[in-house]
Amino acid sequence: MTHHIARRVALLLPALLGVSLATFALLRLIPGDPAQVMLGEHATAEQVARYRAAMGLDEPLPVQYLCYLGNLARGDWGRSLKTNLPVTTELAQRLPATIELSLAALLIAGVVGLPLGTLAAARRNSPLDWLAAVSTLVGVSMPLFWLGLLLSNLFGYQLGWLPPSGRLTIGVALQPLHEAYPLTHVFPQLPPAVTDLISTLSFLVSHFYILDSLLTANPAALADALCHLILPALTLSTVPLAVIVRLTRACLLDALAQDYVRTARAKGLSERAVVWRHALKNAALPVLTAAGLQLGLLFSGAILTETIFSWPGLGQLVVDRVLARDYPTVQGVVLVSASLFLLINLATDVGYALLDPRIRYG
Amino acid sequence: MGRRDRRVPLRNGRAWAGLAILAGVIFAALFAPWLAPHDPLEPHLEARRQPPSLQHPLGRDELGRDNLSRVIYGARLSLWVGVTSVGLAVMVGGALGAMAGYRGGWLDSLITSVVDVMLAFPTLLLAIAVVVVLGRGLTHVMYALAFAMIPTYARLVRVGVLAIKEQEYVLAARAIGVSPVRLLWRHILPNCLTPVQAQATLGIGAAILEAAGLSFLGLGAQPPTPEWGAMIAQGRGAVFAAPHIVLFPGLAIMLTVLGFNLLGDGLRDHADPRLL
Repeated sequence: MTHHIARRVALLLPALLGVSLATFALLRLIPGDPAQVMLGEHATAEQVARYRAAMGLDEPLPVQYLCYLGNLARGDWGRSLKTNLPVTTELAQRLPATIELSLAALLIAGVVGLPLGTLAAARRNSPLDWLAAVSTLVGVSMPLFWLGLLLSNLFGYQLGWLPPSGRLTIGVALQPLHEAYPLTHVFPQLPPAVTDLISTLSFLVSHFYILDSLLTANPAALADALCHLILPALTLSTVPLAVIVRLTRACLLDALAQDYVRTARAKGLSERAVVWRHALKNAALPVLTAAGLQLGLLFSGAILTETIFSWPGLGQLVVDRVLARDYPTVQGVVLVSASLFLLINLATDVGYALLDPRIRYG
Repeated sequence: MGRRDRRVPLRNGRAWAGLAILAGVIFAALFAPWLAPHDPLEPHLEARRQPPSLQHPLGRDELGRDNLSRVIYGARLSLWVGVTSVGLAVMVGGALGAMAGYRGGWLDSLITSVVDVMLAFPTLLLAIAVVVVLGRGLTHVMYALAFAMIPTYARLVRVGVLAIKEQEYVLAARAIGVSPVRLLWRHILPNCLTPVQAQATLGIGAAILEAAGLSFLGLGAQPPTPEWGAMIAQGRGAVFAAPHIVLFPGLAIMLTVLGFNLLGDGLRDHADPRLL
């Protein structure tokens, strides 16, 4: 199994290289001079010439690609044409918002979907089974942005129960981690590499609002962040919810047809124990795998959900910057989301191998 | 699992329900000029956001255009984008998958790794990237979605070809000297079409959703085109003052996609009764 995992990890590298090659190609496929595209239409001829020289744009394409890879590895992902911030900074601010939203959506999908799918299978062809089938079908057929728009207007603007957009009410303040826990003041002798690492981590954590408000014991901010999270997470959860319900039902029906279930029933176990303790345990693995894969797929939905709810994540960023022709940032988002997708799939695969005792292949 | 007769593809009710919904949508699309009571593009600024009435059963939109006529015409665009993008993806992806599966070797490795990299990009993001390169517009969205869906069909056909090419009847055909192209076209591909058919049906629904999403974001159909996603975007400022502007195009998308999903599920049941 170690061999299997090692092989999967080793396969990650060529895939990441492929992804970087694709983002490299993206910028060269946009009509026009790449230097002009990267610097925007307001750049002067001198700036363009300097950029061309710096990026090696006069070199042959393979050299340019190596140059691009080198810049990526050094953390130089270019600067946003819109805000002039380094692209990496923009991504670090936005990525936690998308991760928080996606995890919340997946959590809702799992908490609702697993029991619903289990009940649907246990009471096959009952009204509940029928209801689950119809609602999951309608759920996957609905345009997410439409659902989000209706939810945000109904519960946000009309009823006023929940905030209709954003991540935090203006005026509610979060405390960055390094201010709450001033490690660098307590240990002034830390080497600069360590303090750098700490401040980077603190910067990232401070953009996970829920995590940050938990770690800094800030109940007001926590409640506010959770309220803002509910509607977008509900919207985003529809597709994974449908997938989990359907898959749980199917896998459980499969498991219920097995011999060990007949044995369990024959020895007089209650139906509840048979379903929830015996069959579900065996049906859960493919469902967990699918849930992991769904996490990677959530980004498409996040693009639309974030736009509707003004959720300051990667999805909103990419739409905003495509419209603003801020190509360095678009390139950064594409690169990060594809790499994350590969990492999530790898983690799912490894998790599957660890959880399933039957997988011992090399 | 003896409850399904494998020779009758549409035995289950779901597939028939889907087919019935789609028949309605296709009818609306084909006969839009005769069914639509008004001109979908003609504005009446004095009657902006008018609620549903007898003359305008679905009300009037932001510029006073007849909402029902716009929804009816919208069926044409959505069906066109969905069917052509999936059609293109099936052709290109199928050809790539067939080559990879049949030839094997370095060609297989090359195609498989390109497909794997493409699969790493979220569909909508990949489509957005293509629209960035090509420029906005519904036709470009169609190409973008086709491009983004190529890997799905390449994989599906490759796996099918791999499974079938070692079958005895294929070996027999090869032994009597049938050319590779003919072998693929006449003997192998027809036998791996069933899963492709089911996936393509579901894919059309997904493509319609994504095209509407891209138009909603302003990257697809441009005003005044009566495209469902663009119509929702246009009405989003007045969801409560004039809910009908947003509600009906959304319902139209949902119904159409539901039709494809029901039919696709039915076909998949038939293709692989083990999946649900």
